[in-house]
Amino acid sequence: MIALYFHIPYCLRKCRYCDFCSVTVDETANRYCDALARELSLRAEQYPMERTATVFFGGGTPTVLPSDALCRVLDQANRYFPFEKNAEISIECNPKTASQKELADLRRGGFNRLSIGLQSTSDRLLKRIGRVHSYNDFLQTFSFAHESGFGNINVDLMHGLPGQTAEDYLSSIENVIALSPEHISAYSLILEEDTPLFDDVANGIEKLPEEDAVADMQDAGIDLLESNGYRRYEVSNFAKAGYECQHNLTYWNNAPYLGFGAAAHSSMSENGKWYRFSNQASIQAYLRKVDHGKVPEAERILINTFEQMFETIMLGLRKTEGISYESFQKRFGCDVREIYPEAIDKNRRNGLWDERNPEFLRLNRRGMDLLNSVLCDFQERNYWDLLRP
Amino acid sequence: MEYDLSLIRNFSIIAHIDHGKSTLADRLMELTDTVSKRDMEEQLLDSMDIERERGITIKASAVRMFYRHSDGKTYMFNLIDTPGHVDFNYEVSRALAACEGAVLVVDATQGIEAQTLANVYLAVDNGLEVLPVINKVDLASAEPERVIREIEDIIGIPAEDAPCISAKTGFNVEDVLAKIVDIVPPPKGRIDAPLKALIFDCLYDNYKGALSYVRIFDGEVRAGSRIKSMATGNTFEVTEVGVFAPTWKPVDCLSAGEVGYIAASIKSVAETKVGDTFTLADFPADAPLPGYKHVNPMVYCGIYPADGAHYNDLKDALDKLQLNDASLVYEHETSVALGYGFRCGFLGLLHMEIITERLEREFDLDLVTTAPSVAYRVYTLDGAEATIDNPTNLPPAAEIEHMEEPMVKATIMTPSAYVGSIMELCQNNRGIFHDMNYIEEGRVNLHYTLPLNEIIYDFFDSLKSRSRGYASFDYEISGYQKSELVRLDFLLNGEICDALSTIVHKDRAYAKGRAVAEKLKDVIPRQQFEIPIQAAIGSKIIARETVKAVRKDVLAKCYGGDISRKKKLLEKQKEGKKRMRQVGSVSVPSDAFMSVLRING
Repeated sequence: MIALYFHIPYCLRKCRYCDFCSVTVDETANRYCDALARELSLRAEQYPMERTATVFFGGGTPTVLPSDALCRVLDQANRYFPFEKNAEISIECNPKTASQKELADLRRGGFNRLSIGLQSTSDRLLKRIGRVHSYNDFLQTFSFAHESGFGNINVDLMHGLPGQTAEDYLSSIENVIALSPEHISAYSLILEEDTPLFDDVANGIEKLPEEDAVADMQDAGIDLLESNGYRRYEVSNFAKAGYECQHNLTYWNNAPYLGFGAAAHSSMSENGKWYRFSNQASIQAYLRKVDHGKVPEAERILINTFEQMFETIMLGLRKTEGISYESFQKRFGCDVREIYPEAIDKNRRNGLWDERNPEFLRLNRRGMDLLNSVLCDFQERNYWDLLRP
Repeated sequence: MEYDLSLIRNFSIIAHIDHGKSTLADRLMELTDTVSKRDMEEQLLDSMDIERERGITIKASAVRMFYRHSDGKTYMFNLIDTPGHVDFNYEVSRALAACEGAVLVVDATQGIEAQTLANVYLAVDNGLEVLPVINKVDLASAEPERVIREIEDIIGIPAEDAPCISAKTGFNVEDVLAKIVDIVPPPKGRIDAPLKALIFDCLYDNYKGALSYVRIFDGEVRAGSRIKSMATGNTFEVTEVGVFAPTWKPVDCLSAGEVGYIAASIKSVAETKVGDTFTLADFPADAPLPGYKHVNPMVYCGIYPADGAHYNDLKDALDKLQLNDASLVYEHETSVALGYGFRCGFLGLLHMEIITERLEREFDLDLVTTAPSVAYRVYTLDGAEATIDNPTNLPPAAEIEHMEEPMVKATIMTPSAYVGSIMELCQNNRGIFHDMNYIEEGRVNLHYTLPLNEIIYDFFDSLKSRSRGYASFDYEISGYQKSELVRLDFLLNGEICDALSTIVHKDRAYAKGRAVAEKLKDVIPRQQFEIPIQAAIGSKIIARETVKAVRKDVLAKCYGGDISRKKKLLEKQKEGKKRMRQVGSVSVPSDAFMSVLRING
């Protein structure tokens, strides 16, 4: 069973903080969905008989493309990689990019989960980070989605935005909770190099809130969400019971997925070996390859067992439930506690584990705040002793 | 060429940094066909990268030239280059002692600087004839008349006939050559007297071994001679003698009045110290040439590999540098914070900077240097006396009767507009004012006595910034003086970090303690727990700062496409951790130790 990801690298306009692979809609967009369909057939030759548990259309902003084109891609996906019954099929959209009709078409076409990029309910802040929509645009999109029959909706929020206060952030959360979506993602802004916002901050034109203020916002946000029935199940993700995003859990469980489209990444097992590979990042190069009937792969790396172990930890510890000892044992044939005794002990001394459940290696809330330094300790492990007979 | 003392001229060039010494030397070599313009590496005499970049000469060097004078005779010139910095004062004095004359190069747009003056006095003290030369007369801002007056007023030598030249364009450089013959006296000396050869420099060559650069005052030396160091009594067999033409060229014999090199069965330059006299083992001179002294390091600091695994590489590098530089001393030391490293002694701050820079550049080492220290004399209650160059070794205050610190006599030359600001700087650094005199209108000469430990941090930088680069500075050690000194310690999370301890005057301790604690707060990254930083004298805490605990160290997003990138990021974070030093429970970045040096508390 695998997960399918479709990358739609188009937006109405690029946000000031965004370093994802995306461009403003151009003439390549018309050919793009055809290329995705073509890539599906090419990949199906490589990975026949795979069945699909979840599908995710992300971007970019998938909904800047016509809904019928998107639905056709989904049909093709179902043809080559048959969907499980009740498969979770998500699509991302931004307010102002989808009409009621289009959303209804998408719902009818098979999409059953919608993720809306809101970021903030303050128009002042939305403008400052270069979003094209207002809070009102979002409210409209949200009600269209409801009316179109989407019963599983996620709303994205951000904290640590330039000019944002804790009050701004908490009122955004309250406003969203009032709409009762099934899922809320609450991200901390990451200042990425080569973005307009990065340059503005570097040049002193724009200023981000202080580190402690951002931490305060995040902590207060987590408390507010959890006290309203949104359980934190990953560093930045919250859901009502039963509505955790199954597709994203595939990543955090380090399970296999196939990515389609420019710059899409995949992680697949082949003949007992684990590979991660990525497609051509440039849209032109991607289209050219697919047009020539070639798999549009740019890079492929073999992930050895030790790296797989580390990646399983790196991704698994992002989940509040942590890593089940049994699943690790099943996958690698050894006990995670025997592989990483030093890292586990060190962080036990620092009080970062939640050891109430004896079946899981899981971090407590402080531990999740310090995940990077915890992971550095796991990365210290050299595996030479395991290589000796 | 026939050996004829009257046809030999031995001289040095004295100039301030950037006044054109090396350029003039290049022109002289070109005009005498010693080296063709095309072959000449720019500024041949300064051959080390660092020297060329900084525009200074660290080691002495020499070159032999032949000049056909208008009197029809051909003269042999030996140009002995001198180091251009106060740290190498002793080397300068020995190089000058090897000459009969000195060419004083003064920038026509600048005038005389403190450092130049110090070297001119050295030359005069050594009985040298001084030939002033006014350089850069091609520049629009040149004021040769003013500079000539300045030379006459300050140094007291006639300068009206000084050649006005442009070393850069070559203008009038011929005149310098002619004047050297006229003004610099030929060497004296007897070829049949016992050998007296003054060592004015030594260096190590991978093929020839330790080479001594010598000026022969009496007698002669050739390959096969048995020579004796008059300072140590050690004897060596000479394997080769030669001259600088301009690279090493073996000759049969070096005779009285000549300048050249001696290669002998000498293992390291430490056995042949600058200032020493070589004589013949079987036909020795009665007494050595005057002026030899053992040079002691003035400034000390701990040097550690940034990665403890590179201790042996650092040791090898220091061994190699010492082959060439006998004034560098070092011994193994251990620091709780920094592990295994070396306590190194230098002639001065510049010497320290040059050595650390060479270690990093030529040997590709990543270093951690501790705050520089001077050598203090400590008298304990039980009547013992000790010299302490590492603050960690200072006995407890209760056991100390009193302490003494080294002082310097400082000369500062500055445009008078900056006098107020410079006097304030000197006062802030515990300077004792002696006098101030006007060199000419608008330019003054200040004399101060300053504690050496106040000028080893950033005194020179402050001086330059307060005078917009115009002030120049020179100092000489003037002895020890009783002083109220204390050891200032820094505690991280309750534990003393030995690498940060310094000895300071008690009146300066509070300000310094506060400044360093503040700086540490900025350079120590937040960790999982709160870190108190304390400055302490003994058990008394005099300043306190806190590094707050880290709140969030997690990436908000990690999806399928982020995995490789995220792993790289963690890898980088891990590398960063490797460069940290563990002080008790606290990780301190290697550069934190350096950054506190830059504080003028």
